[in-house]
Amino acid sequence: MNLSKSSSLLFRFSLFVTAMTLLLIAAGGLVTSHKAGLAVPDWPQSYGQWMPPMVGNIFWEHGHRMIAGSVAVLTLILCILVQKFEKKASIRRLAWAALGAVLAQALLGGLTVIFLLPPAVSIGHAILAQTFFCLLIALTFYLRPLDGRISRSSERRSPEDRGYVYRLWICVAAAVYLQLFLGATVRHTRMAIGFHVGWALAVLFLIFLGVRAIHNSAPPESRWNGIATLAGVFAIVQFFLGIGAFLYTQVLPYDADIPSLGAVLFASAHQTNGALVLGTCFLLALRSRE
Amino acid sequence: MNKGLKTFAVLIAAAYALSQPAWAASVKGAVAFTGTAPAGKPVNMAADPTCAAQHKTPQMSEEVVVNSNNTLKNVFVYVKTGLEGKTFPVPAEPVSFDQSGCHYMPHVVGVMVGQPFQIINSDSTLHNVHSLSKESKQFNLGMPIKGMKIKKTFEKPEIMAKVKCDVHPWMNAYIGVLSHPFYAVSGEDGSFEIKDLPPGTYTLEAWQETLGTKTAEITVPESGEIPAVQFSFGS
Repeated sequence: MNLSKSSSLLFRFSLFVTAMTLLLIAAGGLVTSHKAGLAVPDWPQSYGQWMPPMVGNIFWEHGHRMIAGSVAVLTLILCILVQKFEKKASIRRLAWAALGAVLAQALLGGLTVIFLLPPAVSIGHAILAQTFFCLLIALTFYLRPLDGRISRSSERRSPEDRGYVYRLWICVAAAVYLQLFLGATVRHTRMAIGFHVGWALAVLFLIFLGVRAIHNSAPPESRWNGIATLAGVFAIVQFFLGIGAFLYTQVLPYDADIPSLGAVLFASAHQTNGALVLGTCFLLALRSRE
Repeated sequence: MNKGLKTFAVLIAAAYALSQPAWAASVKGAVAFTGTAPAGKPVNMAADPTCAAQHKTPQMSEEVVVNSNNTLKNVFVYVKTGLEGKTFPVPAEPVSFDQSGCHYMPHVVGVMVGQPFQIINSDSTLHNVHSLSKESKQFNLGMPIKGMKIKKTFEKPEIMAKVKCDVHPWMNAYIGVLSHPFYAVSGEDGSFEIKDLPPGTYTLEAWQETLGTKTAEITVPESGEIPAVQFSFGS
């Protein structure tokens, strides 16, 4: 296999693993929304089996474990392939970091079950999921084929502008990451809702600044304009999903044992879309660095 | 030697008898419900066909069960105050708590601190029993096999320790954990009976999972009848 072809395949495979991770985050959100986190009381097996009957909330919890297992195997394969085909040591280290993160994430998932969902571990599990997602985004970004990598000569911006855009997007990604931490805290403790809502407005403003900076600096035909716009769209959608989740879980009558369909859908969509907001912002931060 | 042993046994028995109250009464009563009975929430068991197949008629949630005589079922009535400083033997006989028809049987139950609490799975499907106790150590036990039995104990008194099944989210129950044996749960006619309560003045509390609590002061005399205790909850 020639180098170019293997690079392209590696990029596509990394993209696939990243997409699977988003699916895993969505599945994890559905477990939390259905209050199914303890429907399977043992770990790593489920009721002493690898494939229990998928009845009741076991469907959500064991389904999440199955997707998680698949993602862990895919990440292992990706890591091996990167070690074999990638020349840059930094990218190879990134692949190791992703593998370490997914293994740590599996361990945290097990601890949530064994220790009956202690909030600190559950929040850690939620945040490490987003961190792992970002690691895969970074890996996919650096594995992308050379002809797709940015040509600085086509940039309209000066080096000073580039520094500003990079710093801005780093701040945006950090702000979104903090917001996801606050969101996980709300979800697992039903506390800090005021901080989460207040910070949402700050994040929206920062993303607006970031999108404008990209549009002002990148050439009009650049694909990054589209990605920046997408980040903005995700952020606006996230705001309204947050309002929906707030209404269904905090304002309307909320049955903690059997959450309504609205509560499940809004809270899960809010969590998954949050990963998309973070992912796109982190991607734009990586791109701005180049 | 035999005569000596017999004398010793008689002395022990006499000492035990003297240490016991001369009179112990049964406190009887009922829990009335006034107002409009709340419409029960239908339970959707479709997520587990084994559960759904066990019921020919729609199942309703057990949060508030109003009996046909306008009384309440599943109200936990217990002596809240008046027994401070006294200790009581813990029964060795376990309290039985069954998972049957994808319901907990009973929905409200009492147990003494340290008394065996026997959990049974009579269903042909998987259950987990998840204790949300705030005073005793929480547990989450898998019970995948029909006929499976597990014994647990609670370490500290608690009104009430919730238990739920995370597989079947409609399944929940409440356990009153006490340091004494003076409690009862109202039945299908709303009545309850607390047996063998020694003479004294007590506060009885009636606990209902959504309607809250009511209290009543009672005095158990050295002899004679005790008036029936009436609790009343409203919608």
